[in-house]
Amino acid sequence: MRSAEQHEVGTCPVAHTDYRLDRPAFETYALLNAERELAPAVWNDSTEHGFLMVSRYDDVTRLLREHDTLVNDCVNAFDPNMTIPLLPNSLNPPAHNKLRRVLNPFFSPAAVKRLESLAHERAESLVAELAPRKQIDLGADFAMIYPTELFLALLGLPVEDGQMFLPWVEGIFGGFFASTPEELAAAESAVQNIMGYFSDAVAEREKNLLDPETDLVSRLLEATIDGEHLTKDEINTICLTLMTAGLDTTRSSLGYMFHHLASRPDERKRLVADPELWPKFIEESVRLYSLIIMDGRQVTADVDVMGCPMKKGDMVWLGLAQANRDPRKFPDPDAFDMERDNLNHHLGFGAGVHRCIGMHLARAELVIALETWHRMIPDYRLAEGAELTERGGQLRLQSLPLEWD
Amino acid sequence: MSARLVVDFNRCTGHGRCYTVSPDLLDEDEEGFVTVRHQPLALSDDRLAEAEDAAAACPEGAVRIDRNLLNHVEAP
Repeated sequence: MRSAEQHEVGTCPVAHTDYRLDRPAFETYALLNAERELAPAVWNDSTEHGFLMVSRYDDVTRLLREHDTLVNDCVNAFDPNMTIPLLPNSLNPPAHNKLRRVLNPFFSPAAVKRLESLAHERAESLVAELAPRKQIDLGADFAMIYPTELFLALLGLPVEDGQMFLPWVEGIFGGFFASTPEELAAAESAVQNIMGYFSDAVAEREKNLLDPETDLVSRLLEATIDGEHLTKDEINTICLTLMTAGLDTTRSSLGYMFHHLASRPDERKRLVADPELWPKFIEESVRLYSLIIMDGRQVTADVDVMGCPMKKGDMVWLGLAQANRDPRKFPDPDAFDMERDNLNHHLGFGAGVHRCIGMHLARAELVIALETWHRMIPDYRLAEGAELTERGGQLRLQSLPLEWD
Repeated sequence: MSARLVVDFNRCTGHGRCYTVSPDLLDEDEEGFVTVRHQPLALSDDRLAEAEDAAAACPEGAVRIDRNLLNHVEAP
């Protein structure tokens, strides 16, 4: 049943695009762009409940800061009843800020520097292994295992456990944007497995606490908020959240970045010749190829949002990917231009109090992976005849076959 | 011309862009939020360009340049 038949939409037009669906690569951006230009706010009735889509840069940044009426109890616009817990994401100020203060020191630029030598070592080792194969799938063979190992290192857990994690992460992402009961069941079982793993790891660490200044799990065990320790469930949930936030995103970013570079040999040669350009390359890629296409927010009361009469519990879609391609903010927005003067004003990492805690880590991981790869394998191409699809919900290229001589 | 660099610490969410482009004026605290190196942040003319870079780099609009010293308010 179409939700618009039940929901008042005020002055807003209604769209039916289901953004949970897989599509040919880059088609999602075209659909998102068109709906941004249709109106400042559009009711979307493709899901059971429906949601209000806000997509222009100024509106998105403004509403990201309205955390009194637009809250994080649910952050998935597709489903106001999503049950997968996320911490600190699901909290609102002031509780959110208190937990962020516990976590922030482990994600500051200074803390990220401590991981850089390991990132170099892992990137070099993985690329050296791949180089003789001359034909790989970037996602499956490189882009997933690399951030997984670094995530485990960040938590002080064995890097060798990386392979075990991969199917669990896949399972969870099937569930975030589930359209079938099977996907939801697979996601719930993946969550159980991961929570079991973290629960054992946290219990082990409790017996042998490390320095809470440098060891994240020890810090979580030791920290108090308003005089109370975090519960074990909360600690496991924080670990799960950091994992789901950090692994698939890094993999997906690398996918779009390598696609861009594989298709544009001249740009690639310029970067190979001048590796100092990688940070700018990454910044513009994060804008142009936004993976997290929306931040979902839940309405706390019956209010008008951008001309739409919203009911308590309704979802608002804050269109990060659409804002990042809004011509009102970024001239010639669909073009890749590392020399933009507002290069880092993109919302690829969100904005406001919930902005991505891992963005300094993400940038460092991406620079190191790209710089290392291109030093060792400067020339490569898309495999001939490759048909590329992208996952709906939270974008990524489902496969990216690369080959070289 | 005289001017001051004004930082709205409530707006800062720790993007870290300002102190990356303007390391002589701004620094990071242990959580990655901005701190100021010198108080008050009066800008000599040779520092103005660096301060403008910092203001332009902030995605949250937390860093700005105040050129109206008549409304002079002490930095926190």
